[in-house]
Amino acid sequence: MSEESGKRVINISIYRTDENGGGGYKDYEVPIQEGMVVLDAVRYVQEHIDTTLAIRWNCKAARCGSCAAEINNMPKLMCKTRIDTIKGKIRVAPMSAFNSVADLVADVSENYLINRQIPEFSPREAEIPWKIKQIDVERTKEFRKCIECFLCQDVCHVIRDHKADYVGPRHVVKAASLDMHPMDTVDRSEFLNNEGGIGYCNVTKCCQEVCPEGIKITDNAIIQEKERAADRFYDPLLWRREKKR
Amino acid sequence: MEFGREKNEIQSAYSSKRVIIPKELREPNPRLWAFIILVGIALYLMVIYPVKSFDGYVDPFYAPTILILPIVGLFRVTCYAYRKDYHRHIFKHPVECAIGKREDSAKRAYTGETGFFRFENLHRYFLYASILILPFFYYDIYKAVAFNGAITFAALLIAINTILVTVYLFSCHALRHLTGGRVDCFGCKFAGQRRKSYFDFQSYFNAHHEQLAWISLLMFVLVDLYLRALGAGLPINFTLLHL
Ligand code: SF4
Ligand code: SF4
Ligand code: FES
Repeated sequence: MSEESGKRVINISIYRTDENGGGGYKDYEVPIQEGMVVLDAVRYVQEHIDTTLAIRWNCKAARCGSCAAEINNMPKLMCKTRIDTIKGKIRVAPMSAFNSVADLVADVSENYLINRQIPEFSPREAEIPWKIKQIDVERTKEFRKCIECFLCQDVCHVIRDHKADYVGPRHVVKAASLDMHPMDTVDRSEFLNNEGGIGYCNVTKCCQEVCPEGIKITDNAIIQEKERAADRFYDPLLWRREKKR
Repeated sequence: MEFGREKNEIQSAYSSKRVIIPKELREPNPRLWAFIILVGIALYLMVIYPVKSFDGYVDPFYAPTILILPIVGLFRVTCYAYRKDYHRHIFKHPVECAIGKREDSAKRAYTGETGFFRFENLHRYFLYASILILPFFYYDIYKAVAFNGAITFAALLIAINTILVTVYLFSCHALRHLTGGRVDCFGCKFAGQRRKSYFDFQSYFNAHHEQLAWISLLMFVLVDLYLRALGAGLPINFTLLHL
């Protein structure tokens, strides 16, 4: 932060793409306001300094997940990151595990493609309205807090660094939320183990660290699905039972 | 399956080959070598300088015999907590979550828990084996007290160690899967409410699994060193309560 002509300003450097598919950081000075978040600063740049800056946001309340970006090397929601929690320079980049659209906007469409491949919800025959006990609601409630910001997909080294054929943490959360639904009849651990590449996840928990909704992605979704896959594929004692099922 | 991702050259060239010893174990990795050498030295020392027990205090590494150490060792190697640690700090996939600090990870081929590392899925079997060994640890508390006719500091350490191992085992992810994780509809099951409460209770410990894993391992080493010090004649044991 610097003091200039009595007005407090911050320096923010924002990744800008150019026409040739390249890009680089550009520095901007933004006046500070009390309680300001990174999204405010970025929007200030867009409104007052350079209107060509491409950004994506909707709710500014950490609910829609569209303002996901990398702030000083950590995937975060711009609208949930206060300026005063950052020491020193602020550097904002798009989520670079995905292809770029422009500036801070990443193309997250691969996630919609993956989502369509997860075996869909298949409820068993039951009298309508369904009666579901509270104890069976609690577990999947955590997974349904997901706002699809895809920060977890962005931080996951399997996707980002190795581009391996792994659906990614968000989609394991989705599969787990369906699998653990008391009315559902499908076991998606088979899909996850075979086509979904869940074996690529080495439980290093970066996804869990960045999730803005505090979902225990690795502990409650990935490891549980890995254990289910182990039941089916790696546990000789259970194979016979599986066949009988 | 194709997810429309632009392929990483190193990765696609590598995953097309089926290999027995994965790249992670073959690449030059001083961290891995240092780890293997240190474990080797520790095992060698434990075998040539055994302190199976001293004055009725059984060293946890030798309970009931050092021959079961491979089982306990493999339990920890396949434990989800240590998996995270060695994938991060030995294989550096990734060493940190922060983006700028892990460039080198992308340049190395990666198999994760596919291929060779699928053996980690056998964790549950090492859990069953470890549960079978657990009673020996409780017997050793009894022995430590009965042999000396007193509750000593050494006996207390052995008891704390046993409790820590128990809690560590209890917080295991594979056990959590077995007792409630695999259930989709508690409401449809016999005693569902109680099973769910038990599952929640265990989940509480499970949330601290990584800390418990390390505390319990450090305690093992501490008790071992302590008993060796006693064996060497250091006057560091004292009686807490005469029986
Ligand atoms: S725990 Fe698994 S899914 Fe999550 S970031 Fe690590 S490798 Fe990716
Ligand atoms: S699981 Fe968390 S980090 Fe991943 S998309 Fe959902 S809210 Fe975002
Ligand atoms: S603007 Fe909606 S989550 Fe940030």
